[in-house]
Amino acid sequence: MPPIIHEEKCVKCGYCAQICPLDVLYLDKQEPNPRLRVRYPDECWHCRACEKDCPQGAITMRYPLSHFMLHYTPEKGGENQ
Amino acid sequence: MKTYTCDFLIVGGGVAGLMAAIPAAKSGAKVIIAEKADTRRSGSGANGNDHYHCYIPQCHGADPARARREIGSSFDAGPWTDPKLTDVWIMRSYEIVQMWESIGIDMRPTGEYHFEGHGIPGCQLYNLKFDGKNQKPALTAEALKQGAQILNHIVISEILTNEEGRVVGAIGADVHAEEPEAVLFQSKAVLLATGMVSRMYPSITPAYMFNTPCCPATTGSGQAMAYRAGARLVNMDMLKGHAGPKYFARGGKGTWIGITTDIHGKPFTPYGDKPSRATGDVTADVWPSCYYDRMKAGQGPTYMNCTETPPEDLDYMLHEAMVSEGIDSITDYTEQRNIDLSKEMIEFGTYPIMMSQRGIDCDEHSHTSIPGLYAAGNCMGNVGGSLAGAAAFGLVAGEDAAEYIKTVSQEDVSNHPKLKETLDLYQMLMERRNQPHAHWKEALSTLQNLMNEYGGVELQNEDTLKAGYTYVQQLKADSLNALGCENSHELMRTLELLDMIDLAEPIFLCRRNRKESRGPHIRSDYSFTNILLNNKFQTIEKDKDGTVHMDYRLRQ
Repeated sequence: MPPIIHEEKCVKCGYCAQICPLDVLYLDKQEPNPRLRVRYPDECWHCRACEKDCPQGAITMRYPLSHFMLHYTPEKGGENQ
Repeated sequence: MKTYTCDFLIVGGGVAGLMAAIPAAKSGAKVIIAEKADTRRSGSGANGNDHYHCYIPQCHGADPARARREIGSSFDAGPWTDPKLTDVWIMRSYEIVQMWESIGIDMRPTGEYHFEGHGIPGCQLYNLKFDGKNQKPALTAEALKQGAQILNHIVISEILTNEEGRVVGAIGADVHAEEPEAVLFQSKAVLLATGMVSRMYPSITPAYMFNTPCCPATTGSGQAMAYRAGARLVNMDMLKGHAGPKYFARGGKGTWIGITTDIHGKPFTPYGDKPSRATGDVTADVWPSCYYDRMKAGQGPTYMNCTETPPEDLDYMLHEAMVSEGIDSITDYTEQRNIDLSKEMIEFGTYPIMMSQRGIDCDEHSHTSIPGLYAAGNCMGNVGGSLAGAAAFGLVAGEDAAEYIKTVSQEDVSNHPKLKETLDLYQMLMERRNQPHAHWKEALSTLQNLMNEYGGVELQNEDTLKAGYTYVQQLKADSLNALGCENSHELMRTLELLDMIDLAEPIFLCRRNRKESRGPHIRSDYSFTNILLNNKFQTIEKDKDGTVHMDYRLRQ
């Protein structure tokens, strides 16, 4: 699930759910244990809006293996290894 | 059902929508922005931008002739734009730079107006390097300050016109809560500012539909609503691509400071052989298909190579520029996976088609062919400029609408025939949750396959285009018979899907009607380029009876 909610820091304010451009996050207001959940993980754009705007710093981003950055070391001056 | 009455309804609170709200609300008009996410973080400018394409007289010379010529012939304007409209964003760009500065967007992080990136060798630089990471919150605050009302989590799905054919309102759904609620707007003027079409063609990782370079929430709703309401669309036959990190789709190619090379680190284009912070490497801008073309020609893979970039420039790129541009998920990713860009290159890919700056045909006042209906930003079909184009035409639309609303009166829409039709659609989609039903992703997968194979950039002919059009009509009928939604979120995604299905029609029809090959439109049965169509754009519109009319108009 792309955004990771760190439960120990999250105060369930719901701001991330409000501003997520893709409507991925949901605040389940059910008392007595409200919970923030990543409801639509495969609709995440990994834009980090939730992570940046979280007033508690309770969110980090996990990049799924489907979104893979291909990297390669060039061999200077000729053939690659 | 909730009902709102206003002078000017803005559909989409991205950069264009917010820029339109500011002058209109300032003039005293009652302005409502209906945004399907939250204007503080929505649209393709959600997290920022770092280049503002502009002409600043004290930097580029008092005579704008050179800027007009160089910008007008660059990839930022492009062949599928009207020079008359390009001139509007060029000539109003400095005013907007100053306005943005006055509302707290840092337009000169170095203390002076400084231009870098997207540079064409031999031309002046026109991309103002700015820090746009707070552009959406700042524009939202200014729109509110000027008196606009913002309604977040509202999806608009239909434009209402009256007997005379002028705009009188819109219908949508409030998707804030688990259960959707219909919303009716009565408005003298409406602006469509809904962005590009991000998900109509497959993503570069087809199993992951939201892996798109620009915001995947932009799904062509403005173009589709305009088309259904009878507005004229333009350039729907000219598909457009983008490029960036191959399986990690992300726009902002101009923010990279590196060079485009082969696997050995050798450059292959004439746009520079050393990384340059001043110009960047314009290869991905002018030849975004190079990554695909070279793979297909047996010459790939192709990389963004920052291994020769000076360490201070690399640090600046990763920790300042990408943050300003809102693409620092690239920074985060490379750090989490220990990818050292001073040693390793990132393979770039050509992303499948997104329909940006293809759509609603507007005049220089942002007015569409329907009285009272405006469009601005990437859903316009005849202007470029991306961020700068969106900001300028948002502003222009807001100014013009503020005058237009003084000339017309409100019209009661509570019994509009479209209202019942739309409410019935919502109800049907929601009620099917109680029975076995189809999910929007099933239909979108088929739409993407059809668009790619029968309406994509590969060689097409009359038969593939005709068959593709027929299959999309079949998909539409089956979708309307089978789709269901569990909640508000799914209703929003389903309405997006239905809009994209509707947009397939003008794409297939215009491509069939263009009996030649030109640019990205390549046909085996008409392989020549017909010079009689030079300097002309194809338009398409529906009349009241639903009859489709296509025509060619002169580039203006």
